[in-house]
Amino acid sequence: MVVGSATVLFVVCCLFPIGYLLFVSLSGADAAYATVWLDARQRGLLSNTALLGAGTAIFATAIGAPLGLALARVALPRKALLRVALAAPVLLPPYIVALAWTYLGSSRGLVATLAGRDLLSEWTYSLPAAVVVLTLVFYPLSMLATEVALRRVDGRLEEAALVVAPTGRVLWRITLPLVAPSVFAAALVIFVLAVSEFGVPGLLRVRVYTTEVFTAFAALYDFSRAILVAVPLLVLSLVVAVLAAAILGDRLVTTRRGSGTRPALLDEWRRPATIASILVVTVALGVPLVVLVREALGAQSWSSVVDGSGDAIANSLLLATAGATAVVSLAVWLGYARARARGRIGQLADVLLLVVFAVPSTIVGVGLIGLWNRPGLLGTVYGTDVMFLLAYLARFVPVAALALAASLRYVPVSHEEAAAIAGAGWLRTMSRIVFPQIRLGVVTAWVIAFVLAFGELGVSILVAPPGEATLPIRIYTIIANTPSSHVAVLALLQAIVIFAPLAVLGAVASVREAR
Amino acid sequence: MSTEALVVTNVTKRFGSHQAVESVSLAVAVGDAAVILGPSGCGKTTLLRLIAGLEVPDSGEIFLNGTNVASVGRSTVPPHQRGIGFVFQDLALWPHLTVWKNLEFVLGSVKTPHAERAARIHQALNLVRIEPLSARYPHELSGGEQQRVALARALVGQPRLLLLDEPLSSLDPELRMTLRAELARLQHDLRVAMVYVTHDTDDAAALADDVVEMRAGRIVSVSKPMR
Repeated sequence: MVVGSATVLFVVCCLFPIGYLLFVSLSGADAAYATVWLDARQRGLLSNTALLGAGTAIFATAIGAPLGLALARVALPRKALLRVALAAPVLLPPYIVALAWTYLGSSRGLVATLAGRDLLSEWTYSLPAAVVVLTLVFYPLSMLATEVALRRVDGRLEEAALVVAPTGRVLWRITLPLVAPSVFAAALVIFVLAVSEFGVPGLLRVRVYTTEVFTAFAALYDFSRAILVAVPLLVLSLVVAVLAAAILGDRLVTTRRGSGTRPALLDEWRRPATIASILVVTVALGVPLVVLVREALGAQSWSSVVDGSGDAIANSLLLATAGATAVVSLAVWLGYARARARGRIGQLADVLLLVVFAVPSTIVGVGLIGLWNRPGLLGTVYGTDVMFLLAYLARFVPVAALALAASLRYVPVSHEEAAAIAGAGWLRTMSRIVFPQIRLGVVTAWVIAFVLAFGELGVSILVAPPGEATLPIRIYTIIANTPSSHVAVLALLQAIVIFAPLAVLGAVASVREAR
Repeated sequence: MSTEALVVTNVTKRFGSHQAVESVSLAVAVGDAAVILGPSGCGKTTLLRLIAGLEVPDSGEIFLNGTNVASVGRSTVPPHQRGIGFVFQDLALWPHLTVWKNLEFVLGSVKTPHAERAARIHQALNLVRIEPLSARYPHELSGGEQQRVALARALVGQPRLLLLDEPLSSLDPELRMTLRAELARLQHDLRVAMVYVTHDTDDAAALADDVVEMRAGRIVSVSKPMR
């Protein structure tokens, strides 16, 4: 019954907004599609969106996959800490990195100051710049996917090849083909996330579908156009997500590990791999933070800046806490159902969860508005802070459910069967046997949901009730008419809140590794 | 030393505080089979991995056909240049390659001329009687068939020393007996030196020229098998 209720809530919170949007768009007139889809402006949007997605996927994979290989197969010094530092950029809201990028490359930015002349400003607000920013944010996904895939590869397969072949041939013919599907699927996921991104192209003035949806709805108040423009993006995201899920198959929540043997395939690469890792951390994490700090130092009083946005900060903390709790409360049951589902149903659940996660934020926002902004009972919810929670549920339940399903797979079914034989009821079995074994997974899922909710912009900016703002909305809306130092202070504050739990996690991992 | 395919001299290997192999010395003549017998965790697999070059000894030396391949703390000849064939306990068949490609990978690695490869693969598959299965992937084979593929893969490179790590341990008794007999036939026909690790005395009786008994990382006896 609990799992059934969770499934119903999932359908209402996550599927209805998308289903509503599809229904409305499919019931629209063909002529409307023809006018909106086929003009030169739309072709430009399609081209920009595709280039943004493909460019980000290619470059993020080019950086992330070798790093994943290094983490999995090279004895790097302080590896746990390095892994956390390398993964950290993916937790930064992309628009924060884009903001730092503008402070770095603008005509009065850090580069111009250091060089004594303007070198980058022409390039700062451009499609290639958006690709660079999103690459720096999303490469950890490719890195982590590659590392996880390599850890699944039985080390004995590589050893069996090492007996007859040199390292290079073993890597090329044995190791890489075994992890290629995961690397490719990660690239597809990055593609979807890049084309779904709203903040970065919005800040860097790159016209893509997500910004067009936002403009149609928030600036032109043209809901029909927003829906029609959203459809190509929705279809593109769904197709690529289905493809990624099909390639990944059972790997999404599989916990099978290799033999534990880790052949020293690349130990001679220890020094170059370490240098490359530190370089990437410096560029992807250090530079944006240093640039933000430098910009923030221009503010006369940090406390007055923070006080001026006190409501937004408090809102963000409160809503992200409530949102993460709601997301995990729902996701844990969905994750349980997924972990125990077998065969085709389980695979379909993976596809569904990945596809829902891939739906661009502005599309979720438009769907939520269309669904809830109507007279009657639903209308009483619209215009309240509950819309933020619904937004977080719609966006982040799938990823939390997948993460928790992976944790729950570690708990053998036989543990539940043994409890049942001992006379324990289902709820007692869950609370005393199953959940205690996945405590760390639940905490991790909560932290991930909190970080994502705390940085969420694309949906929040659309569904925010009048007069209400979260920190991301506040930052995004004051950029144009507030001193950059004030904006930088708030962006830094956001980064600090996000990285505080991560720093603790990194410290704990480092201590454990040292032991 | 020239008639010895393998000579291990006072080899020691430690993992952290665990002494896996301690002062082990062993010699296997060309064409002979040594069966290393002992309970789980006694160091027999580690010894095999040291011979293969997958581990480096902390002390001692290893010679293959008169050539020093490993000495204190270093490997002087990498695994793929030692001229060995290795059958792993879990077989380690590459799942993304067909049976044919599994064997072809070995010949490609040792730069066997293309013209020779097909004949060599046919010959190896024939030896273990699985030629009709060459187009299949490992997961499409039964346990016994996978076992034969692993053996064919180890033999196709025409190794001078064959290392087998409990290759029959996961099979049912009947199949185990059949494959054991085939392995004995192959070893006899090919006259390849072999080191065979097991905890099964029947394997030792059927295959060994010398039975080497290990306990807690040490060799406690070397004897002739009871047939």
